[in-house]
Amino acid sequence: MDVNGKIFKKFLDRRHSSDLHLEQAITKQHAKGKLSARERIELLFDRNTFEEIDEFATSAKAGSDFGKADRGFGDGVVTGFGKINGRLTFVYAQDFTVMGGSLGAIHAQKITKIMDLSMKMGAPIIGLIDSGGARIQDGVVSLAGYSDIFLRNVQASGVIPQISVIMGPAAGGAVYSPALTDFTFMTKHTSYMFVTGPNVVKEVLNEDVTTDELGGADVHARKSGVANFIFEDEENTLLGVKRLLSYFPSNNLENPAFIESTDNRFRFEEKLRDIVPDDPNKPYDVKDAIKLIVDNGRFLEVSELYAQNIVTGFARLNGKSIGIVANQPKILAGTLDIDASMKGAKFVRFCDSFNIPILTLEDVPGFLPGVNQEYGGLIKHGAKLLYAYCEATVPKVTVILRKAYGGAFCVMNSKNIGGDFSFAWPTAEIAVMGPEGAVAILYKKELAEATDPVKVKKELAAKYREEIANPYIADEKGYIDEVIDPADTRIKLIVAFEALESKHVNIPSRKHGNIPL
Amino acid sequence: MKLSFKKRSSSEPVKYITLGKDGKKYEFIYSPTDGLRVNSKKQDIEIIDDADGFTYIKFKNKKFPVEVIEQNQNKFVILINGVSYNYTVETPLSYQRKQIIEKTMKKSKTGFVSAPMPGKIIEVFAEENAIINEGDVLLILEAMKMQNEILSTISGVVKKINIKQGDNVNKDDILLEIRQ
Amino acid sequence: MKKINSILIANRGEIAIRIIKTAKKMGIQTYVIKTAKEPNAIYLNFADHICDFTERFDEIPEFLDVEKLIETAVQYKIDAIHPGYGFLAENPYFAQRCEEEKIEFIGPSADVIYKMGNKTIAKQIARKHKIPLLEGSKGNLANADQAIEIAKIIGYPVILKAASGGGGRGMRIVENDSQMEKNFRLATNEAEKAFNDPSVFVEKYVRNPKHIEFQVLADKMGNTIHLGERECSVQRKHQKLLEESPSPALTEDLRKRMGEAAIRITQAVKYYSAGTVEFLLDADGGFYFMEMNTRIQVEHPVTEEITGVDLIEQQIRVAQSEKLTLTQDDIKINGWAIECRINAEDVQAGFSPNLGTIQKISLPKGEGIRIDTGIESGSVITPFYDSMIAKLIVHGENREKTIEAMLNALGKLRIKGVKTTIPFCKAVLTNKVFVNGTFNTSFIEKDMEKTYFQEKDEEMLAAFFATYNYANEIREEKDTWVDHEKGKNIDPWLLNKRLR
Repeated sequence: MDVNGKIFKKFLDRRHSSDLHLEQAITKQHAKGKLSARERIELLFDRNTFEEIDEFATSAKAGSDFGKADRGFGDGVVTGFGKINGRLTFVYAQDFTVMGGSLGAIHAQKITKIMDLSMKMGAPIIGLIDSGGARIQDGVVSLAGYSDIFLRNVQASGVIPQISVIMGPAAGGAVYSPALTDFTFMTKHTSYMFVTGPNVVKEVLNEDVTTDELGGADVHARKSGVANFIFEDEENTLLGVKRLLSYFPSNNLENPAFIESTDNRFRFEEKLRDIVPDDPNKPYDVKDAIKLIVDNGRFLEVSELYAQNIVTGFARLNGKSIGIVANQPKILAGTLDIDASMKGAKFVRFCDSFNIPILTLEDVPGFLPGVNQEYGGLIKHGAKLLYAYCEATVPKVTVILRKAYGGAFCVMNSKNIGGDFSFAWPTAEIAVMGPEGAVAILYKKELAEATDPVKVKKELAAKYREEIANPYIADEKGYIDEVIDPADTRIKLIVAFEALESKHVNIPSRKHGNIPL
Repeated sequence: MKLSFKKRSSSEPVKYITLGKDGKKYEFIYSPTDGLRVNSKKQDIEIIDDADGFTYIKFKNKKFPVEVIEQNQNKFVILINGVSYNYTVETPLSYQRKQIIEKTMKKSKTGFVSAPMPGKIIEVFAEENAIINEGDVLLILEAMKMQNEILSTISGVVKKINIKQGDNVNKDDILLEIRQ
Repeated sequence: MKKINSILIANRGEIAIRIIKTAKKMGIQTYVIKTAKEPNAIYLNFADHICDFTERFDEIPEFLDVEKLIETAVQYKIDAIHPGYGFLAENPYFAQRCEEEKIEFIGPSADVIYKMGNKTIAKQIARKHKIPLLEGSKGNLANADQAIEIAKIIGYPVILKAASGGGGRGMRIVENDSQMEKNFRLATNEAEKAFNDPSVFVEKYVRNPKHIEFQVLADKMGNTIHLGERECSVQRKHQKLLEESPSPALTEDLRKRMGEAAIRITQAVKYYSAGTVEFLLDADGGFYFMEMNTRIQVEHPVTEEITGVDLIEQQIRVAQSEKLTLTQDDIKINGWAIECRINAEDVQAGFSPNLGTIQKISLPKGEGIRIDTGIESGSVITPFYDSMIAKLIVHGENREKTIEAMLNALGKLRIKGVKTTIPFCKAVLTNKVFVNGTFNTSFIEKDMEKTYFQEKDEEMLAAFFATYNYANEIREEKDTWVDHEKGKNIDPWLLNKRLR
């Protein structure tokens, strides 16, 4: 081919217009403290592995204004694929510099195309969202576009990992795609999500609220739980996405990704013996225990700021991914409430979908009592966590660190709801209810007659703890497999999960279960 | 169709801008060929881990004991010679972003008063919807047998009180919300 | 004379260890108390016997539980109880219960503890024996209005103090009428909390005085000597942070006059054992009796260093009814000693307690360095007790050399895991006003621009270390290699069944 000829020149002109657009986009986005869509992709993927498709797709009139950068370049979205940590991954990144990243016909078509590809290939899909919403000019076509995306989100759910990264606005219908995916990331100050914006809130309720207060990263991370991860800036956000992906398989048939462990497989961790305080009512940070158990102390927490009374996150044991669910005695004494149950349930179901074994660290005094909780439907929400654990067929191992009382004991992956191995530390207290409550019922009369009821109650509680609320009764009856030295926990868990690698459970075929929603 | 974007290569210098709480700013540039430059001046800094588990920085023939006491993403609290410093480490891009956001963002209207240490609430002076000024005593928190006055850092209206007398609180628990 | 063969130490931490050391030297068996709050504390390793208090169900903290302690001493047939400082050290009821059970209380009699512990009575005694005093209310205050009335007579500023107080708790300075109401409430509230007695009194407040205290020692026969003074003016909110002996402010004549006054009041109440008489010293050399502490003080080591007298040994000997073998002429001040209290406190955050685990501690060693501590690597600083990690005491030829040696020792004292007052101590020792000796109790607020010591380049190096860690983390993240091929190797048995 004549590289100086007309045919090749046209090809080069097109390339040039692409460069031109990129330059403009960078200037515009940087002025807002944001990165351009292509820069984000560059940060996310391994060097020189990204391949873009449909770069010149546009909904502008074809022909006369072809190739002009300011005419709906790429129709406001960059789509393609590449490698992240060496693994094939698909991406779409909305380009706010083109018609506000609004979702038009071609825009939607590009996204659905890349989603279909990721489904066929069984590779994760990441959406980098920075969009003003539906393109008003396109009318119903853009609404149909959203619907196409929603449908694919649901079809891909539990087949390939889907991650949404909110890096700019996401309002109205646009919020539902992230809500349907597995994990949502947000960048502080420059991203927000809401169904109705501050203007509507002002009109309808006459309340003044800023975008950040209504749907900023902090709000969604702390209050609504919509955002699973939030970061100060976009570079850290994208790094976080890479980190999260490293724990996942590419699809629901693979095993999770493996990273050769540099930690000692047989690490005997004496510090674990000092985690649980001698005073049974004293709080401690369960994350300290997690960090001592897992490889190199590395724990990626999911929804760190939401429902902090339960801790969820990913880590590795001898190189293999595990999901961890742990009660957090530091917050609300580790009780289960509505938010914690939902957070835990969603996490357990994700792990189950993608063959990630679940480790449960239990220290739960029960469900949170209260009118608000009961009115709010603690029964049905608590049932979600119970359902999720019962339903999960991945390897499930529990370590009871301290309290395991009442219904909450059953819910937190007890042996009878399908837990494969249950271990307990010597500090474990397993019983129908806590000592104080039990004593108040069993010794009601004695307490009423005592001269110093507080002291008598404490003495009885100690006796109860000694005789009933300990791990040995459960151990003797087989509800606990072994009472272990805390220092041995890591070694025991590695052996247990290795033994469970080929676990398989026969379950009746059905369309799908009916999780209590 | 590869990105026609500037390619990164390993020999390229790495640059970080590190910001202190009090407006202190340091620029660190490291490249394998040129070494380390601090605010464009060449410096030789060495990090030593000793057998007892202490870490030191060796600089100009002096040893400074150092440790990271807190880290959250790019925010660090460093303890050096027993004195702590707060820093945020920024890349050139995130630094630029930070400056833009500071300029354009509306300051949040709600201020939070959080517990500086774990303890017990002895007395609450603030009332909901009361107007308070900066420096007013909001409540008394008892910790380590000492009663500490918790002062308001901003002026405004008390929007919400999350605690009551006799409550035990953890460090960083939000005690009050104040609306400017 | 009754020889003491065993001692129950009703205290913890460094002072428990300090007492054990002397007891060992004297061939006395020691008993300590193991609490659930710090069951692994190192003072337990030093003692001959451990009394287990971990299974208690009372609300009263272990070291304040008079009956349980007495019961323990009786049960183990222990001859004497040493209360250390704090807790029950100045509780007359405890001393009285000891007397009743024929257990030797190592300290003065219950009667004296009561009299000196009640500041109003102590002042009456001082007044009677012509010891200079600061005027104030004649007794406890009924309400804030009464305090305002007295303030009108003696003039502002005034100070509200807890009648049974000490250690800075329950003390409030009031500048004018309008502040009285609030401060009165706070002072009574705090006094009630800390000492179970809400009564407070008011007195004239001397601005910027020096805090000078005299160590006294007396036997049951009334022989009394003093062991020189301690300079305790480096205080924050009435909490001592750094002490020295002798004081750079005292002339030989002043020392003699103050020492005599200290002895006079000690003898007036028929005091025996070791005690401390606290004075305020104003800029013109006028001194005022403040109170007498009827216990061993935290800062007793500086006196021990310069006089060579083991104060704990003397306390035990007096308790055995021995006669003092030392006379005033035997007491010679030898060189200079400084004590730095190393507390787990965040100086940069207004000295707020910095709880946590001491991950590592490495202590300086050498000529003239003494360290009294109750912790080691792995110890936990709990919210239940004070935040003291260690006392670093340096003894030198003169003040200048001692300051230098102390700075050197502080540089070698390394603690990882919690923030400490080390940077504060360094800042004091390098402060001009401190070095020339003209400081007073307002030193920290007035003369210290910065309450912590910063070395040159320190800030830059801290920034570098943050950057270094961050860059490493990012590099590590970028270099992560996921072995996804391994993920694809699935047992066919499993793969077949994985689909449902």
